[in-house]
Amino acid sequence: MRLTIKALGWTIILLWIFTLALPVSVAFSLMKLAEGRNLGIQEPTFMLSNGNISISMPIYVNNTGFYDISEAGVKIRIGKADKTIVTLYRDLPNIPAGQMVNTSCILTASLTDFFQKDCTLLTEDANLNVNAALHFRVAYAIAFNVAQNFSTRWGAPFHNLTYILAYDGATHTFSFSISFNNHAFFPLSGPFEIRLYNSSNYEIGKTSLYLDVPSGEFFQETVDVAVDPLGVTNRVLIRMFFADLHVLETEWILP
Amino acid sequence: MSELEPKPDRRRFSFRVARAFLITAAYAVFWLIIWFLTSTLLASFPEYQKLFSVIALGLLFFTFAIALAEGTIYKYILKIIRAFFLIAYLTYATNSGVLKVSFENLVFTVEFVPLLALMIVINLLEIAKGLLQAIEFAAHSPKD
Repeated sequence: MRLTIKALGWTIILLWIFTLALPVSVAFSLMKLAEGRNLGIQEPTFMLSNGNISISMPIYVNNTGFYDISEAGVKIRIGKADKTIVTLYRDLPNIPAGQMVNTSCILTASLTDFFQKDCTLLTEDANLNVNAALHFRVAYAIAFNVAQNFSTRWGAPFHNLTYILAYDGATHTFSFSISFNNHAFFPLSGPFEIRLYNSSNYEIGKTSLYLDVPSGEFFQETVDVAVDPLGVTNRVLIRMFFADLHVLETEWILP
Repeated sequence: MSELEPKPDRRRFSFRVARAFLITAAYAVFWLIIWFLTSTLLASFPEYQKLFSVIALGLLFFTFAIALAEGTIYKYILKIIRAFFLIAYLTYATNSGVLKVSFENLVFTVEFVPLLALMIVINLLEIAKGLLQAIEFAAHSPKD
């Protein structure tokens, strides 16, 4: 029994040494990583393609520490007031000790999903809350998470969307004069559709135009919508779409 | 009272108390050094001062009690209780291995559940060792 007690005693001592030495060596490892130019994040670039917005951040890490870095990832949560609009997550590759890794952190979000969560973002500028977090695990044992909350200004792509409507009873044509400011950081390009419905919610006419509005530009155009004269009622429902996004819905009463 | 009955050895007891006190004082100095080294670094952790006081005073109490109970089976029982205390304390103080510190808009989280699990295993081994020591002590003690 004495031998067992002795063996247990030594095991306990060795385990305590390991348990106490690990966090200290992890701290030194991180300090080594933080010094010099071992870690760098280049300026992010924004891309828009196929209705998806992508944020690309080139990252390089020269792991001069003692331990491997695993489970690395970047998570960005964008919300308005208390509502989460979009959550982006990207895993980063493992960085073995003594190696340098060059990678690009690409976060992609569907603009359709983004605007479906809050359609007012299409037409109204807003303050968005951003929570950006970086997560990684050192020595496969201790995980670190650094998160920062900040606010960013959102510029609406159809800011101050206004229209002037006139109806020509002789030709059964609605004439729209549409204008808006593209406050978004990306250019607007895609089909814009105007659909008209009568009081029975029956589609009486529609037209579409192709938008190509650069960021920060003002847009104004007049379009005509020929309608089915039999379907026209006193109340006309106007619905505007950009790609598959519902931009505006409003009612118009014939004078 | 018969003359054969042993008189209480007050001198021996006083010596034991003084010895326990000296050992505890040495440990107190050690905890004081730890406090000076960590207080500035870990001051931003929530309830750090309270948690440090609990662990330092708790372990100093056990050091005193174990030193006082030297040569008795209570020494091992106290060691087992100390291990249980450490398991409970470590789990509570480390928030089950997840610590969070906030600096204005920045939130820093450290998760060390595997390390906490290892510390709990060490204390379970300490309990096993204490039990074996207590059994061995009882086996070798002369019966009345």
